[in-house]
Amino acid sequence: KNLYLFPEYLKDASKKMKHGLMFVKLVNPCSGEGAIYLFDMYLQQLFEVKVFKEKYHSWFINQSVQSGGALHFATPVDPLFLLLHYLMKAGKEGKFQPLDQVVVDDIFPNSILLLKLPELEKSLCHVTEEKVNPEITNKKYYKYSKEKTLKWLEKKVNQTMAALKTNNVNVSARVLSTAFFSSDQVASDKEEDYIRYAHGLISEYIPKELSDDLSKHLQLPELPASWPNPPSKKIKLSDEPVEAKEDYTKFNTKDLKTEKKNNKMTAAQKALAKVDKSGMKSIDTFFGAKIKKKTGKI
Amino acid sequence: MDFSELENDNTGRCRLNSPVPLVCLKEACVLGVDEAGRGPVLGPMVYAICYCPLSHLADLEALKVADSKTLSESERNRLFAKMEEDRDFVGWALDVLSPNLISTSMLGRVKYNLNSLSHDTATALIQYALDQGVKVSQVFVDTVGMPETYQKRLQQCFPGIKVTVKAKADSLYSVVSAASICAKVARDQAVRNWRFVERLQDFDADYGSGYPNDPKTKAWLKKHVEPVFGFPQFVRFSWRTAMAILEKEAEDVVWEDLTVGDQESAGRITSYFLNEGPRTHLRVPHRYFVERGLESATTL
Amino acid sequence: MESRDETMMEKHRVHLRPITLRDAAPATLHLLPCEVLASRPAPVGRFFTPAIRQGPDGLEVSFRGRSLRGEEVAVPPGLVGYVMVTEEKLIGKQDFLGDSENNYQEEEREPVAAPEPLERDFDRFIGATATFSRFTLWGLETIPGPDAKVRGALTWPSLAAVIHAQVPED
Repeated sequence: KNLYLFPEYLKDASKKMKHGLMFVKLVNPCSGEGAIYLFDMYLQQLFEVKVFKEKYHSWFINQSVQSGGALHFATPVDPLFLLLHYLMKAGKEGKFQPLDQVVVDDIFPNSILLLKLPELEKSLCHVTEEKVNPEITNKKYYKYSKEKTLKWLEKKVNQTMAALKTNNVNVSARVLSTAFFSSDQVASDKEEDYIRYAHGLISEYIPKELSDDLSKHLQLPELPASWPNPPSKKIKLSDEPVEAKEDYTKFNTKDLKTEKKNNKMTAAQKALAKVDKSGMKSIDTFFGAKIKKKTGKI
Repeated sequence: MDFSELENDNTGRCRLNSPVPLVCLKEACVLGVDEAGRGPVLGPMVYAICYCPLSHLADLEALKVADSKTLSESERNRLFAKMEEDRDFVGWALDVLSPNLISTSMLGRVKYNLNSLSHDTATALIQYALDQGVKVSQVFVDTVGMPETYQKRLQQCFPGIKVTVKAKADSLYSVVSAASICAKVARDQAVRNWRFVERLQDFDADYGSGYPNDPKTKAWLKKHVEPVFGFPQFVRFSWRTAMAILEKEAEDVVWEDLTVGDQESAGRITSYFLNEGPRTHLRVPHRYFVERGLESATTL
Repeated sequence: MESRDETMMEKHRVHLRPITLRDAAPATLHLLPCEVLASRPAPVGRFFTPAIRQGPDGLEVSFRGRSLRGEEVAVPPGLVGYVMVTEEKLIGKQDFLGDSENNYQEEEREPVAAPEPLERDFDRFIGATATFSRFTLWGLETIPGPDAKVRGALTWPSLAAVIHAQVPED
């Protein structure tokens, strides 16, 4: 048994169809490896499938148990990202080619299904130069254009950035060290953090070389190697603007010291702090507030 | 004893008490502490205190209370009834600790062992008597663990009271004997009227004494083991006997705080798309996905 | 033999039966803070559900002698959850086509003038057996709270929608 989350409209559309919903394996344009996609032939839409996985989980599904605790998400994906993978490959030859010669894949033969998405042809102008051969019934020929692609990707980055802001996604790469920056610096860094974060998300859908080109195109400063990725476990995921709430002007030298100290808590100390809390809590519930003082002393 | 509260919800703990005899509010009292049902793998553990004024100690002794273990169930019930008749000078209070509470305490992230649970419960009961206005001057306790350390702890909590912790206190001091009778009567009644939280099928109530070495109890545990849930909450999951049966007869369950090494269980996901050979993931996904436990699906 | 399967596999299609998305019955779901190393029937309704209590700080239950604290999590609006089961038997094509004799109107907008049939002999089928719009999220001894990873994961579809939206024209 697998658990899936679909957009609701997919359910509505399914009322009108008999078949034409299928999971296939296609190339992941970022890694070049295979990944699962869902085609909806009725909606003429492509969905990617992400899976939530975290250690130590299981589902109870009605009267059964399902190991693993996975939850799948099918979300619409811009098929142009997948097509771009093929266009870039074909573009190396520098020729104008018809699409059916561009999308050729022995490993993932289902990729020809991409050609059945009419929307795709319309959006091709974002990433290709186009030629029409009037002699052969207006057949269109395409050639990958890096320039156009970068412009298109920049728009993608911009709309992603806007969404990151409205969704209050914590984009700060310097969660642990914001205290060491002046408020001005933090504010300007923040904008850069958003661009970088959005660039990182878009880069999940394009090859590495294109991602690097996009970074230059966006004039993103190189990230000093010394900035480590903040440890993922400590990150607050709640939809709360993390920095916005803080008043950075309040940090004086004294605060800085305590900040530093706190950060330096050893793993053991942290574990202890955590442990203490939960331990007290359970004991409290056993004995009620009244006796707390007494038991605390023992 | 009115166990309606316990029968309503027996997943936690439940306190019962007699009215406080008026004389106990005025005169110096002795108070005994004992427990019942510490050893069994099934059912609740009951802690009880019993108290009476020093001036009435002879009357309590006249009841010929004795260590509850040396008495038959009917004798215990008779003695408890007598104590109820003497409610003008004998008072009691008890705490029923459900097997679920015992399991979850002992198996907690922070282990709360049975001795600490016992000590804290006894301390809370003595405090409860004080809070009710009982003029406690002396406390006798049947020991759990080392009597010396236990005595020191209790003495620290109640500096104004003379505390005596002893092994076999239940046969030495009549207030402790009386407490042991209260505890045992309560435990028997709680077990007899236990309302299983679970909706069990083909349930067989013949579980013997509940002690782990009782073959009947063992057989009952083996019969009632459920592959996913283990046992009903009536069973103390933290008992070695119970754990051993689960290890053999139930599905393995892995908790984040109780793992030894890496627990990648291979081959548990039956996939239609075959797993791609050795995983050569050089690329770490963007932290947005890492922080949310999301990755691209590669199998269905 | 295995390598042959592997070259085959990328051709496979797993057809999701649309009809199953319509009629799926609601399911009750719990996400547990432990891994049960088995997928099998389990008497959840007899052992687990009746033991759930509403405590001062959320739902309370125990599993295998360990204390759990839980809270309801709603699937974000615009999304619908499904329990999907892959059909074990290879169901023949006839079976599948026989289905379409029930005169649904689905052909009115059948976009695929497929140069090859949509379903082939080596394809498989998957269907929804139940649907859900919420589940109970359990933590070991403490409520998972707003920082639970799965809550973060649930925000993905709304961001994905923006990433994959068409860009504005110049």
